Amino acid sequence: MTVQTQIISKMREATQGGFLSWTVTVDHKRIGILYLLSASLFFLVGGFEALLMRIQLAQPDGKFLSPDMYNQIFTMHGTTMIFLVVMPLAAGFGNYLIPLMIGARDMAFPKLNALSYWTFLFGGVFMYSSFIFGGAPNDGWFSYAPLTEKLYSPTHGMDFWIMGILLLGFATTIGSINFIVTVIQLRAPGLTLTRLPLFVWTMTVTSFLAVFSLPSLTTAVLLLFLDRQLGAHFYNVGQGGSALLWQHLFWFFGHPEVYILILPAMGIVSEVIPVFSGKPLFGYPAVVFSAIAIGFLGFTVWAHHMFATGMPSATLLFFAADSFLIGVPTGVKIFAWLATMWKGKLRFATPMLFAVGFVAMFLIGGLDGIHLAVVPVDWQLTDTYYVVSHLHYVLFGGAIFGIFSGVYYWFPKITGRRLQEGLGKWHFWLMFIGMNLVFMPMHILGVEGMPRRIYTYGAGRGWEIWNFIETIGALIITVSVLIFVVNFFASLRKEANNEADPWDGFTLEWKTASPPPVYNFAEIPSVRGRRPLWDEKHPDLADWKVGK
Amino acid sequence: MNILTEPRSMSRFSTGKVALFIILASESVFFATMLVAYISLRNQTVWPVQHTLGRLTIPLANTAILLVSTIAAWRATVSIREEKTSALNGWLLSALLLGLVFVTGQVYEFSHAGMHTNDQAFGGVFFTLMGFHGLHVLSGVVFLIINLARARLGDFSPTDHDAIVLGTWFWYYVAAVWIVLFAALYLL
Repeated sequence: MTVQTQIISKMREATQGGFLSWTVTVDHKRIGILYLLSASLFFLVGGFEALLMRIQLAQPDGKFLSPDMYNQIFTMHGTTMIFLVVMPLAAGFGNYLIPLMIGARDMAFPKLNALSYWTFLFGGVFMYSSFIFGGAPNDGWFSYAPLTEKLYSPTHGMDFWIMGILLLGFATTIGSINFIVTVIQLRAPGLTLTRLPLFVWTMTVTSFLAVFSLPSLTTAVLLLFLDRQLGAHFYNVGQGGSALLWQHLFWFFGHPEVYILILPAMGIVSEVIPVFSGKPLFGYPAVVFSAIAIGFLGFTVWAHHMFATGMPSATLLFFAADSFLIGVPTGVKIFAWLATMWKGKLRFATPMLFAVGFVAMFLIGGLDGIHLAVVPVDWQLTDTYYVVSHLHYVLFGGAIFGIFSGVYYWFPKITGRRLQEGLGKWHFWLMFIGMNLVFMPMHILGVEGMPRRIYTYGAGRGWEIWNFIETIGALIITVSVLIFVVNFFASLRKEANNEADPWDGFTLEWKTASPPPVYNFAEIPSVRGRRPLWDEKHPDLADWKVGK
Repeated sequence: MNILTEPRSMSRFSTGKVALFIILASESVFFATMLVAYISLRNQTVWPVQHTLGRLTIPLANTAILLVSTIAAWRATVSIREEKTSALNGWLLSALLLGLVFVTGQVYEFSHAGMHTNDQAFGGVFFTLMGFHGLHVLSGVVFLIINLARARLGDFSPTDHDAIVLGTWFWYYVAAVWIVLFAALYLL
């Protein structure tokens, strides 16, 4: 050990032993694990809420949930999956992997990192405590004013939502600042921006999106808070306020948020597909550029969520055209992934299955999005189950599949053990079939006019069969998640074999031990190409030698 | 310098400066969305709704006070660069005292605004924007107090005084935001 690594081991000694040490840890790897575990628990809760909704909707005139409870559950399902599952899971991977991938010893601000995790956890628990204190938020995850005003939502549910969102927004903002500064300041020698691993790139773009879009949400909920608690009139049309103001402020955050949710998964897939194809990522500059382009364009399309609000037709045209445009960089990525697999030595281990599943499902979700960008189509389909289908293909088939790909890929790095392949394949195929059974029929229901967010529906509209199939799909997804849970614990009970590089990986995190020591690298590595570990393993074929 | 997180040769800026850049950019979006909310409300209703913000004496005086205090903060960074320790203490103290005078003026304005948050939209706009700016001024004052305490303990040297520079940048930012808010709320 060098002097440096000895000092670091000594410094971190106090926070490494025993269960309580997890509460004071500032080690990026441990904070990453805390993020991943907490968000996984919230994933089970949010998934349970979805299951409750599907049971309620399985048959017409369902009596399983009361209308009021149904409202609370769909609001909390959306809020949970977005703010308490996908965002913190990305933060967990980012925390664990970014310092390892860029050859650093920790994040730029380790204490701030701990603060951001605990604020997130407290915000989540706080929001859920509303179920005990007189009812959860019940106005949908985008909480349209004036429905959220005190007059129409008199319970404290919305106040819990507002305070929870402020806490979660704060946690994400400081976490994102930490990521950006880490990537700018702490890269290993030779690791230029044009050599940065794709996951680090997409997390950086995601962090910029968060830092610049969350303030808009902060403004929106603060004004709502003032309306509700201090009698202000920001969203009260009768007193000089504006209800549309909420929608503009919310979606100016809300659309970049969509990319905050999907970009990290795109990054994961861009790491997994090259390794399991045995080839470098096809068109690296184009993929990086498209991530940045998505970042910029993501800020200019927010009003396509508001086509039905009666905006002037010039505005409609602008936002429709712009929304088509954002399909282009997304398409570039899909072609790059396909071209990476083309003529590769493909290995279909579970991480790769989820990555390929991601590409296929995300493509369907993306094409649905293009349909909805067509203004007259949107007028017909907005607020129907078509939108629910679209957003779940993107966020379940997209973000969640990408994240599971990452879980199977990096589990050996984090724990020193692989997840079982057999159970992994069962997990993938059941989840894949289940999600298509749930979300594909929603297209049909949407076209048939079934509105989203209704707690029940009458018989005889032709909706029964599709709803019934969807509920069966939801049960299949439940089984697949249970298989994953079993796999998780069964694999942890196995003896660790601590392979440093189980997948024959390309990037620096596979260079160090599994799990990595507290100082990450005995010596800070230096980098000469986009695949530093490949270069090291194949000195004669190194990327920088053969000119890739 | 922390050996865990020492910056590598690739960046020309200190880690604190990069972080502050991003924080201030994020803050700017916050103030910008607040201002856009204000302007869009203002465009669609009869405006100004009755208020007594006609008198400009205190806000103008406050503008001058804040501008003078930015000069003091700037002189503080110059002093430490030239290793004039007592000048550094003096300039930091004057900047933060002027900041406190500014806050006192704002408190007077708040209590004599002749309106409340629930008096139509303008009340909410005025108190929200000014209130958040006031919180930033107080944060800046706390920053300057910590810097002053560290300066008195001899924590800074001509080559190592990042916190002084960061505190000054933050103070410039607070003043710049004030000018925009003053123009938008009093003059527009």
